[in-house]
Amino acid sequence: MEDHARAPPIVESIPEERCRELTDTIGVWVGKSSRVLLRLVGRRATSFPGLLALRVSPRLMRRLGRQLRSCTVVTGTNGKTTTSVMLATVFRSKGPCVHNASGANLRQGLMNALITSADWRGRLRADRAVFEVDEATLPLVAADLPIDFVAVTNVFRDQLDRYGEIDTALQLIIDGIRRTRATAVLNADDPLARHIGLRCGRPTVYFGMARQLARPPEREQTRDGEACLRCGHRLRYDGYFYGQLGLYWCSHCRFARPPLDFTGLYDGTALHVTEGRSGPETYELPVRGLFNAYNALCAIAVARLNGFRPAEIAAALKRYRGPAGRMQVFATEPVSILSLIKNPAGCDSILQAICREPGPKVLCVAINDRAADGRDVSWLWDADWELVPERCGVAQCVTTGTRAEDMAVRLKYAGYPTGRIETTPDLEDGIRRALRAARALGGLPVHVLTTYTALHEAARILESLAAEAAAPERP
Amino acid sequence: MLNLYADRGNVQTLLRRCEWRGLHAHVTPVRRHDEVRLRDYHLVLIGGGSDREQALVAEALRRRRREWKAAVEDGLPVLAVCGGYQLLGEYYQLPDGTKVPGLELLDLVTTAGRPRLIGNIAIESPEVGTVVGFENHGGRTVHRHAPLGTVLRGHGNNGRDGYEGVRYRNVVGTYIHGPLLPKNPRLADFLLSLAAAYAGVAVDFPPLDDELEWAAHRAFLTRHAGVRGPR
Repeated sequence: MEDHARAPPIVESIPEERCRELTDTIGVWVGKSSRVLLRLVGRRATSFPGLLALRVSPRLMRRLGRQLRSCTVVTGTNGKTTTSVMLATVFRSKGPCVHNASGANLRQGLMNALITSADWRGRLRADRAVFEVDEATLPLVAADLPIDFVAVTNVFRDQLDRYGEIDTALQLIIDGIRRTRATAVLNADDPLARHIGLRCGRPTVYFGMARQLARPPEREQTRDGEACLRCGHRLRYDGYFYGQLGLYWCSHCRFARPPLDFTGLYDGTALHVTEGRSGPETYELPVRGLFNAYNALCAIAVARLNGFRPAEIAAALKRYRGPAGRMQVFATEPVSILSLIKNPAGCDSILQAICREPGPKVLCVAINDRAADGRDVSWLWDADWELVPERCGVAQCVTTGTRAEDMAVRLKYAGYPTGRIETTPDLEDGIRRALRAARALGGLPVHVLTTYTALHEAARILESLAAEAAAPERP
Repeated sequence: MLNLYADRGNVQTLLRRCEWRGLHAHVTPVRRHDEVRLRDYHLVLIGGGSDREQALVAEALRRRRREWKAAVEDGLPVLAVCGGYQLLGEYYQLPDGTKVPGLELLDLVTTAGRPRLIGNIAIESPEVGTVVGFENHGGRTVHRHAPLGTVLRGHGNNGRDGYEGVRYRNVVGTYIHGPLLPKNPRLADFLLSLAAAYAGVAVDFPPLDDELEWAAHRAFLTRHAGVRGPR
């Protein structure tokens, strides 16, 4: 047996700081080489190498992070990915920018993005970063990164506490911001985000939509249980944008929607942004829907705060390629907009967004029941398709996919006239029929809604139809 | 109408089919602690839920067991789906052997089993022809009554005896959801006619234009259940 006591471990003979550096370098190496290996076997490496690197060297995030000159994190319930990708697109117009992959928004995902843009000696090749961060992760990374802006898109909760107690997610965001030296960029139309602004103890900047976009409360009154987080009394609304976003005020204390620093006016294709008294500046949007307009407004606000000029931002937004299926626009003839629907809540928010798009439109709904979609399509009956006949201004419907007929029945029972429903299980045929109907009706926009397994095929079909539309007519 | 987290689609189907015929129907959602007088209703829907929720509902409903028994014997139409179906029986036996007592309206028992019986299902019913939908249940049910139908494709009551659901007086119990009624218009109208008769209203049920419903029914039989020829 060896005597360990006599031979001190080798690391002890190296000065502590040198040792740490060594560990960090090993961390970078482990992360980068595991990434290479995963790539070699054809796997996407969005988090695992980061996890390994953090195991080897827990301090590595701070070490790499402190090389950043500017760091923005985007958090909130919905719209993190879209907002942060838009921001990264703007930032990259002036040089490299560290950015985590879609959905990889936990600590290891951030670490992975840092390792990816570091060289083998642990030097970052970018001095700017924008991270999409999960609400619960924010407090865990707040101390390791030189965060100068925390953007909160919105905080949606299924059920709000009626006694005005602070929700856990809300508290996590507040704690996270408190640990930074950042300016909080907040959605003024969201009472929960406003609450964060009041509690986080950091400077705040508010963005929100123009008053004239708000709708009077009607169907959305299901949220009437909402309580003021300050005093517990019921919040009142002069109007709603969507969800709980609106012109709110408390009848008891003075809690209310704050004055806006960035005001957005969305007209269905472009966003007109007023900053204080200057503007408005017009930004053409690469995506549709009010919720996407909010994401763009948030990104524009942060980019402006980072010193980007409106023209630079507008040019970058044109280059934005969003994740598939979030009201993604295709230059088909006429224009089509593709959205993913996979559960009642998500479907409802898409339908509400379609209702808010001005003018009549054609709807094409593709429902598949393959394993990844869920074999059971009962959920279609829990989604609010009643909006289609009531408020969406849908001139014609095509149902398609393996469950095309089920969808047609659903629309019928929602009260949509059966004479305006076409049914065909073949996806390409369905999309072509919808576009044909839209042309016949004078060039209406076509909203294509698909379940998961139909999404990429629908995107491919729409892309090729867009290419056909762009090609010069054959002689 | 009593509706314990029943599929919203079933309720909507019944309502629309009344509305399209100019009939008026009123729906009362019932929560766990609501006091319900069964004689105020002409059709009761009982849906499904988790084991825990089901136990809570069973406990609440059992207090009025005699009233239930009398109403069912008297011909109250009941549509019970999944958990609601199990609730009609004597008990539901959990994996650990505990027996959650049911309403004891039928001579029916259910035992939890593995694996869950999940998938598309089609049955042939002597009263309403083919019935199609989706099943997803751990429980294995056996009873001494007539079944709703014989299984053409899928598992049915217990995956062994080839039967699905139950028929007793004006009670229909089944594991089929998806939801059950939109794609099975004959069954929907069958329930409505039972309700009308029970209410003592002399109404006829003129046929509706059910082209889309039957298209979905047929597509399901041929494409999803692999059964040829409808009805």
